[in-house]
Amino acid sequence: MMVQRLTRMPRIFTILLAILLMAGSDAGASKYKRSIENVVIPDVVLVNQQGEKVRLKSLLESDQPVLVDFIYATCTTICPILSAGFANFQRELGPETKNARLVSITIDPENDTPAAMKEYLERYQAQPGWDFLTGSRQDVDRVMKAFNAYFRSKMDHQPLSFIRSQEDGKWIRLYGLMSSSDLMKEFQQRGGK
Amino acid sequence: MHSSQTFTAFMTKVAIVHVAVLLLLVGASRSYGAADQQALSAEETYKLGERMYREGILPSGEPMQAFVSGDVPVSGTSFTCVSCHLRSGLGSIEGEVSTPPANGRILYLPREPYIKGYEHVPSYHNYAVYFPTRPAYTDDTLAELITSGVDPAGRSVIKAMPIYDLNDQDMAILIAYLKTLSAQPSPGVSDSEIKFATVIVEGTDPVAVASMLAPLEFGIARKNSLTTASSANDRVARMGYNMLGPDLLQKKFSLTRWVLKGPSSTWRSQLDAYYQAEPVFALLGGISAGDWEPVHRFCEENQIPDLLPIVDYPVISDHDWYTLYFSRGVRQEGESAARYLHGMYDLIKDRAIVQVSRDSREGRALADGFRATWADTGHPAAIDIVLKEGEQFSQQRLQQIITELKPAALIVWDDGAALEAFAGLPDMADRPGVILASGTFVGKALWTIPEQLRGLLSFTYPYRLPQDDIRFDALALKVLPGKKTSDYDQKIIRQSYITNELLGKALMDMRGEYYRDFFFDTIGMMPDAYYPLYERVGFGPGQRYASKGCFIVQLGKGENPQLERRSEWVTR
Repeated sequence: MMVQRLTRMPRIFTILLAILLMAGSDAGASKYKRSIENVVIPDVVLVNQQGEKVRLKSLLESDQPVLVDFIYATCTTICPILSAGFANFQRELGPETKNARLVSITIDPENDTPAAMKEYLERYQAQPGWDFLTGSRQDVDRVMKAFNAYFRSKMDHQPLSFIRSQEDGKWIRLYGLMSSSDLMKEFQQRGGK
Repeated sequence: MHSSQTFTAFMTKVAIVHVAVLLLLVGASRSYGAADQQALSAEETYKLGERMYREGILPSGEPMQAFVSGDVPVSGTSFTCVSCHLRSGLGSIEGEVSTPPANGRILYLPREPYIKGYEHVPSYHNYAVYFPTRPAYTDDTLAELITSGVDPAGRSVIKAMPIYDLNDQDMAILIAYLKTLSAQPSPGVSDSEIKFATVIVEGTDPVAVASMLAPLEFGIARKNSLTTASSANDRVARMGYNMLGPDLLQKKFSLTRWVLKGPSSTWRSQLDAYYQAEPVFALLGGISAGDWEPVHRFCEENQIPDLLPIVDYPVISDHDWYTLYFSRGVRQEGESAARYLHGMYDLIKDRAIVQVSRDSREGRALADGFRATWADTGHPAAIDIVLKEGEQFSQQRLQQIITELKPAALIVWDDGAALEAFAGLPDMADRPGVILASGTFVGKALWTIPEQLRGLLSFTYPYRLPQDDIRFDALALKVLPGKKTSDYDQKIIRQSYITNELLGKALMDMRGEYYRDFFFDTIGMMPDAYYPLYERVGFGPGQRYASKGCFIVQLGKGENPQLERRSEWVTR
C-alpha cells in the first residue's frame, strides 16, 4: 500500500500544478461567447421525460430563472459536457436548486422518447427542476429557430446554453463549453448587461 | 461535491503544500506495464479495462471520478472514454468538437499534419491538419494526459476531455486496454480485397431477394470497375485517388451469398460454417420474411456488423450493437399508433380503446408495439380482442364491439379482408371517433377503400408518402441500369439503395481504418439524411433503428386518390 501511495503521489501533484499553471494562463480556460437575446418562445406543446405534455411558453416564461440547452440522449461529445454542467449546477445550488428551472430540449426527437430522456436524466443524477423535452420534429425545429440554435442535423449542433432573467425576460446566450464557475457566474449575473 | 470555488481553493492549497515534495519526486519513474498487474490475467485486465473505457466503472466497482471543462465534476457512469472516442477508439467528429483517436497504435506514434501515404488525398489531408502535432505518447505521458489533461506537447485538453483520478493499477489496466483497441486488423480485409457476405433465408420470395441484391451488386461492381480502370488509365486513377485514397482504391470488394436452409434452429451452425470457410468484414443487407434473431445473435457474438438487413421482425434491443436495422419493423407501426392516440387523449379521456389483432406474427407484433408504448404513456390498458386463425373480422363483430364497448378509438391489426367489416360504418351509431389500421398489413386493399369510408379510416404508414417519394425515383432506380424496373420490389430496391449508399460513405470516411467497430462508429456519426422511401433516416452513436417515424394517413378523395397525412412523421 505504501509503495503504491508513493508512486501515485507525483501524478496527483502534476494535476494540481497543471491546474494552477493554467489558472494563470489561457490554456484550458473556459472560453465562451456571450450575448443578450430577445427570444419569442413559440407556443408549442412538448413532452417531458414523464410523458407529460408541457406548454413550453408557460414553462420558460415563469417567475423562476430558467436555463435552457439543446442536447440529445445518444450524443457523444458536446451534450455530456453540457449535461455534466447542468448536473453540477444543481449540486452547487443545493437546496436552492428549486429556485432555478433547467430545461434541456432534444434536437433528436425521433430517438428521444420520454423513456430515453428519463434514463438520461437519471444517468446525470438530475434533481427535480431539470426537465428534458421532446416533441414533433416541426415543433422542435420551431423552438431551435426561436433560440437561433437551429441545426439541420443533430451532428451539426453547437454548445449553446441560455439563461433567462425573470426580471426583464431577456436571454443570455452562451456559446461554448463552459466551466462550472462561469455558468454559475452567468446565472448570478442574469438580468445584468 | 466541491463547489467550483471550493474546488479551486482546495487544489491551490494542496498544490502549494506538496510542491516541495513534487520537486523531490521529479524524475521518479513509474511503470504502467505488466508488473502492475501481476495478480490479473490478460483476459481479466482486458475485461476490467473495457469496463472502465465503456462504462466508466473502476476495477473496484466504483464509478470513475473526473472533472470536465476544468472544474465540472462528473461520474464515469454519466460519460466516459467511449462517449467521445467511441467503441473503436478511433475518435469522433460531432459539431465543432473533434475527438482524436485514443487507441494505443495511434497514440504511440507521433502525430504529423498528414497521414503517411495519404498526403495528397483531400479528405485525409483535411482530417490530418485538424489536430495539432504532438510527439508519440509513452505510458507515462499517456497517464499524465488522463490525469492532468496535458498532452506530450504541453497543451491542455481539459476544456473538452475529462481528467480522471486513477491509481497506478487502474491506470495500467486502462492503458493496457487502449493498446488493444483497433490494434489487430479486422478479418475479411486484405491489401487487395474487402470481403462481404449477405444472408438469404431460403424460401424468401425470389423477387424480394433479387431486389435486395441488385443495388448491392451494382455498387460493388461499380467500385471494382473503378479499381480495374484506375490501373490502366491515369485520369481515372487520379479521380479514384482523390475520392478514395490509394488504399481503398486498390481494394476490390466481394459479396458472397450465405443461404440459410431449413428451420431457424439450424441457422447458427450454417452461419458458423460459412464464416469459418470465409471470414468476412461485414454482412451487407440480408433478407428474411420471418425470423432473423439467429443471424442477429451470430453477429453479436462474433462482433460482425450487419448493415441494414431487410426484415419485418428485427431484434429489439437497447444495447445490442452489431446489427443496424432500417426500423423497429412491423412493431413500429403499433408504437406510432399509440403515440398518435396519446396526442389526442384529451378527446378520448375515460372512454374505452379497443385493440383487435390477428393472432399472426404480424398482428402480434403490431399489438405488442401498441401495448408497450401505450403502457409507457401511463394510460389505462386498451381492451384486447384477438382474432384466431380463420376468424373473419366481420360487420357483426364490429357492431358488437361498438354496441357493447362504445370505444372512443378502435385499432384493427388485420389484413385487407378486414376492411369489408367497415362497409356499413357511415350509418352506425356511436361509431368510434378514431379507427386505425396498419397500412402495410392491409396492403393493396388500402387503395380500394370506398369513398364514403376514406375519412373514417386511418392507417399507419411508415414510409414517405408515394407522391412525395417520386422525386427520389431517378436516384433509387439508377441501381438498375438496363433492367426492367417493374421486375423488382419497389420498396426493397429503395432499402437496398440506402445500404449501398451508406456502405460507400462509411468506407470513404474511415480513412483506411478497416475496423469493424469503426465501421458502425462511422455510420453512427453520420448526419440525418433524406433517402428514398423514408421521410427521414437518422443515425447517432449507438442508435440501431435508422427510420423512427410513421405517418398516420387517410386515403384522399377521387378516382386516383393519394394518401393524405393526418400526423407528422414523429409524434410524441
